[in-house]
Amino acid sequence: MKRTSKALVVLLAMLSLTFSLFAQAQGETAPQKEIELRWASIWVGNDSKAPSVEALVKEYNAANAGKIKVVIEPQPDYNAYEQKVRTSLAANQAPADIFTIKFNPTTETFYQSKLLMDFAKVMDPQWKATFDAGSIAQSTVDGVLKSLPMETAILPLWYNMDAFRSVGVTSIPTTMKDLTAAFDKLKAAGIAPSSQMTGDTNAWTSMIWFSHFAVSLGGVNVWDKSFTDPAFVEAAKLVKMFITDYSTSDAVGLGAGGSGGHFLAGRTAVFSNGPWYAGRADLAATPFFNSIKIAGLPPVGPTSDFMISRLQANICAASSKDPAREAATLDFLKYLTSAKSIARIAESSGAMFAIKTDYLPTIGLQKQFYDVANGAKTTSFDLEAALGAEVTLEFAQQLGALALGRISAEEFCALVDRKIER
Amino acid sequence: MQALAPRDRTNWAGRILFLLPVSLFFFFFFVYPFFFTVFTSFTSWRGIGGMKFNGLANYKKLIMDATFRKALGNNIIWALCQGFIQVPLACLVAIILVRKPKGWKFLRTVYYLPNVISTVALAMVWVAIYNVNGPLNAILGTLFGMESRNWLGNPDTALFAVIFQTVIYIGYFMIVLLASAMNISQSLYEAAQIDGASTLQQEFSITLPMLRGTLVTTMTLAMAYGMRHFESTFLMTGGGPAYATTTMGIDLYLKMDALRYSEASTAGVFLILLGTVVITVLRKLFGKSDPMSEMAQ
Repeated sequence: MKRTSKALVVLLAMLSLTFSLFAQAQGETAPQKEIELRWASIWVGNDSKAPSVEALVKEYNAANAGKIKVVIEPQPDYNAYEQKVRTSLAANQAPADIFTIKFNPTTETFYQSKLLMDFAKVMDPQWKATFDAGSIAQSTVDGVLKSLPMETAILPLWYNMDAFRSVGVTSIPTTMKDLTAAFDKLKAAGIAPSSQMTGDTNAWTSMIWFSHFAVSLGGVNVWDKSFTDPAFVEAAKLVKMFITDYSTSDAVGLGAGGSGGHFLAGRTAVFSNGPWYAGRADLAATPFFNSIKIAGLPPVGPTSDFMISRLQANICAASSKDPAREAATLDFLKYLTSAKSIARIAESSGAMFAIKTDYLPTIGLQKQFYDVANGAKTTSFDLEAALGAEVTLEFAQQLGALALGRISAEEFCALVDRKIER
Repeated sequence: MQALAPRDRTNWAGRILFLLPVSLFFFFFFVYPFFFTVFTSFTSWRGIGGMKFNGLANYKKLIMDATFRKALGNNIIWALCQGFIQVPLACLVAIILVRKPKGWKFLRTVYYLPNVISTVALAMVWVAIYNVNGPLNAILGTLFGMESRNWLGNPDTALFAVIFQTVIYIGYFMIVLLASAMNISQSLYEAAQIDGASTLQQEFSITLPMLRGTLVTTMTLAMAYGMRHFESTFLMTGGGPAYATTTMGIDLYLKMDALRYSEASTAGVFLILLGTVVITVLRKLFGKSDPMSEMAQ
């Protein structure tokens, strides 16, 4: 019996030794499984950032072959993409390993999701220092940073100086009086002075004009005030005037495509949009491309030398219990947000970023955007970025009624004010 | 209690097996989402994070919501226009085509064609047609000297502009009614002709009564479409200007867009209940005089 027990103990010891050696050997020689990261990217198709982003991903995949592979899932329709992000998170699923959001008071709700990685916990100081501190602060909610500020934008006015010169105006008007005088001349020459619109869910181009007026009248913190504040009422009156007197006859109900289309076709002389529009091929093909000047609106109130800005795209990552996967995600994001990568995307697209780089465009519209951004003493959000999607929708819906004279500026502001959650 | 014979047991097993796949689909894609929607309509939930029970607060808010009331009114207009303009138009065309005039097959295809074209493409075409500088204004200006109008940008004209571009597409209902009209026995018409009935008398005394059952069905379908209308209006106006063209479907969508999931659920429940009421009322109103059901009895 004793003999048998001894034999058994020896056998078990040999077996466990063999297994542990085998397991160790396996750990040393077995090939590491490649981690695949899905990136639901909006920078695809006709987007001006698409070529450089695609090239960067290819280079990253080549450098990390067998270890990490980033797969771009194209999301060319932004509205459908936003819907996907919302519904996925509501269904308790991450839309992808990496994805972008437009950060504003509405999408701030996404921060409640446990599916998103909290960068505040995983960011090292060196990496954090590469970001614009203000943008990081704007993207942080109660100490939580579940999206990294990536693309930023200023929202200035685009002046077609060929049109202005054709009516004898050789420089951008610097006062409201000069602007309306120039607009009167353009009207007389059969050119609609500005591309206004009340359609879509945000009345985009007119919303930018409204934001300029409101900030000029009420200061950079105007969005903290009640929407019935005189600054907003006055801004509403001004926007109404520019829609009814100085825009195309289809401005009420017009969408962003139509508003931009009028400018591209030379039917309007002033347009408003962000820097991403500068990289469009159809814009470069216009005969007046080289005569476009970027600037703000003349001040209408005590605040001047400011620029309207926003966080255009923040990047999110799915949280993971797998440390290797989390490390892979962070590795790719560090690569993507490195000064070198961002400079390449900025150079090819004209877009602006919340990551510090040495890149400074030297020619064209890109340079003008950087000059305008750097020249502004201060910045303030636009209405959508400051107050969220629902307020902006109400703004767009009621702007049509305001322009048609169905409601007064005071009533307009009271209606929008009702949608603001305080 | 008599035990089932082996053959009966096989039949029951077969029935359950046949019904199981569709029942599972029905449960997961209708029953579960429906009860989830009803449940969330009694909560405060933004799609992410926890739900908080808030009783009937969302329903009270919905009833007090001027935009939703406007949407409800617009949906009723939609339902009436689809039920009482689109279907009668489809019926008229079907009655003409069933007599097989020259080129009827071509006309049948032409009328049906818009139904196979994407709603998005059609909506974009109509946005261009209604544009201030578009062909409609050009034609009206040339023929009647009318000033150009912003059809979709004016709250007075926008709703009827979007309804018009849907109501004129009668193809689907026309095909259903035409198929039904073609099944009416020719001997009835021959007998009427012998009795000296005019074409109009034949239509009123034979065709329409024989089509009554199909008409009730098509009207029910058309009005149900009207109550849940969304696509073309969303594409053409987004519900604007000043909510002039908004519908309950658009309102629901925009609530979700603003991450007001529980309020969107409330609107969804209301929409389902309203649709059920409309269909029930229609069946009560027209169902009893349905010759098909009378014949079946």
